[in-house]
Amino acid sequence: MSFKRTGIVLSHEYLLRVKKKSFLITTFVVPILFAALCILPSVLMLNAKEKCQKVAVVDYSGIVMPYFENGKTAEFTDCSSEDPAVLKDELASRGFDVLLIVSQIDSAKSVSLQTYSKKPTGIDFNDGLRNKANKAVEAYRIGCYGIAGLDQIMKDVKANVKLSEFTLDESGNAQVSESGIYTVISMVLGMAIYMFIALFGAMVMSSVIEEKSSRVVEVLVSSVKATELMFGKIIGIALVALTQFLLWIILTVVLLAAAGAIFDFGGDLASTAQMADMAKGMGGVDVAAMAQNSEMSVIFTTLAHVPWGTLIISFFIYFVLGYLLYASMYAAVGSAVENEADSQQLQLPITIPLMIGFFMVMFAFKNPDSPAVFWGSMIPFTSPIVMLARIPYGVPAWELVLSIALLFGTFLVLAWASAKIYKAGILMFGKKSNWGDLFRWLKQK
Amino acid sequence: MAIIECRDICKSFGEKVALDHVSVDIPEGGIFGLLGPNGAGKTTLIRIINRITIPNSGEVLFRGKPITQEDVEKIGYMPEERGLYRKMKVGEQAMYLAQLKGMSAGAARAALKEWFVRFGIEDWWGKKVEELSKGMAQKLQFITTVVHKPSLMILDEPFSGFDPVNADIIRKEILRLKEEGATIILSTHNMESVEELCDEIALINKSKLVITGAVDSIRREYGNNNIEIEYTDADGRHSEVISRDKAGNDVLKTFIDKGVTINSYKELMPRMNDIFIKLVTGEEAGEK
Repeated sequence: MSFKRTGIVLSHEYLLRVKKKSFLITTFVVPILFAALCILPSVLMLNAKEKCQKVAVVDYSGIVMPYFENGKTAEFTDCSSEDPAVLKDELASRGFDVLLIVSQIDSAKSVSLQTYSKKPTGIDFNDGLRNKANKAVEAYRIGCYGIAGLDQIMKDVKANVKLSEFTLDESGNAQVSESGIYTVISMVLGMAIYMFIALFGAMVMSSVIEEKSSRVVEVLVSSVKATELMFGKIIGIALVALTQFLLWIILTVVLLAAAGAIFDFGGDLASTAQMADMAKGMGGVDVAAMAQNSEMSVIFTTLAHVPWGTLIISFFIYFVLGYLLYASMYAAVGSAVENEADSQQLQLPITIPLMIGFFMVMFAFKNPDSPAVFWGSMIPFTSPIVMLARIPYGVPAWELVLSIALLFGTFLVLAWASAKIYKAGILMFGKKSNWGDLFRWLKQK
Repeated sequence: MAIIECRDICKSFGEKVALDHVSVDIPEGGIFGLLGPNGAGKTTLIRIINRITIPNSGEVLFRGKPITQEDVEKIGYMPEERGLYRKMKVGEQAMYLAQLKGMSAGAARAALKEWFVRFGIEDWWGKKVEELSKGMAQKLQFITTVVHKPSLMILDEPFSGFDPVNADIIRKEILRLKEEGATIILSTHNMESVEELCDEIALINKSKLVITGAVDSIRREYGNNNIEIEYTDADGRHSEVISRDKAGNDVLKTFIDKGVTINSYKELMPRMNDIFIKLVTGEEAGEK
């Protein structure tokens, strides 16, 4: 192989795609969507908090009103002496947003609530009212039993059992962990690898098909060797994928940081990358001491416990090898057909293992140590996807090394076979090829 | 000296034999016609010369040495199955193909501009290929084949797809390149252009080389060695065919003595078309 010629093909394939409008659009739109998805709920929550509802309360029961406390979200005014019908009419003119009517205590020792307002009051607001009223009714009922100190007894017997999760590392030290975090990380990584392989592998295939159907391919292979053309194309498109991926990460982090600065969210809006940094900083701290702390610190300590170094390095290794494996198969299939429609049947052996890997990820985070997931992370066709999903839960080094070695070996064999099929296939015009043809080309000298 | 020597080349695809011990020498300079019916193995031979296909046995020598990938950069190949990237711009596309032939970006740009001016298509540079008509695309294809000043050009059915005007432009360019000392291998079914353009030919039929040599000597060999004399006498125009061994100044003298005006005296050569058909169908009959 000549590096010079492969390099020309590579840079051609790379620049061709990176300069495309569609590349620019997806590169910028996806992080914006992603950032919006992260930011929007917080923005909505913030906005909801800022709005303070002024509530006029007509309390016929006489027990609920004392439980309403003025807060950030609501201010209560006791209007029990007034006529609700008049209040309803004068609601806006007297500066109230909501009229709340509490009924008299009924035979079941309960009350009912009615609210009147111009705009719907919202679930959170309603839940708040109900909680307060429930407390008032509970206290009233306790009082009805006439037992001294019953309310204290009731408070004492209330239980709230906590569950703390610990994972044991090699030296037997307990670490706080949170399964939910692992699930999210492993799913995101597995899906990302799956998406990139499927998307950019298919891009290799359609590019091969385009060169064949436009008949430019024979001109090309009179200048470069078929293998140089194939690998130049595969590597060029891999660089497109990596460029896009890096830009996505950078843009998302920048957007989130900018949004964080604008809206002043502070810590609760930290992007994954920022969290990772913070978690790393906390790696040295005695995590057990923080076990009792808030949920947030559990998340951070869990993140600190995720093997980030292994994860990031493995991500790139599996991404590159997995992509190369599938892209060379896609190239071989593309070389056999002259239009995408004909490729459907030949594509099956590629898409099926890819789909299996995808579904194994779903299975992996429910049961990361099952034999099926183990084998899925060893067999080269599913390992890039499944192993990535396993790594956050911790994978022994020998399994990782074996899996990568198997993947690399399979890639070498398949790249050789694909190059042979590709070489013969791209020059076969006017005939629909099938699996028999592909095997014949493989045996050809 | 031969620019390309094919030595005893065999190639088969599975059961199917494409080339069966074919040896052809292609002399440096001039136009070499590679003839044969469809499926005879011409394209396979061309692909082997281009190192696109590797032969099962035999070898190709380029100026006396086994051909290397670097030698292929000195070849300009326009395949029969040809085309361009439809979505790419004309200039970018031509630059890419020229660079693949080993040209630097600067040299490629300069040479391409020159060709674009020669063909009067300077304003195409920024157009997309899909906007070009078929004839325009063919011109561009020709330019990308010759832009790197190859010492050997291989043109597989160069005139197919061209209208007569554009075909004539290409014909003139081929002759001009020949004048400049290039060697051109022309694979074609068009026997008229073989007579007009080719100096030497090779005819391949059913994977085997049938005949190779100079066009004139082949035509003479397959002719009846007759001479045609055209003359005008009192009754008008006449022509008479006589055998070559009787021909000569003596014959002319008898005509002159008769007092007629001689209009022409020429060797009757068979058409390449007839030789082609005779050789191809004759072979078939011989095998049965």
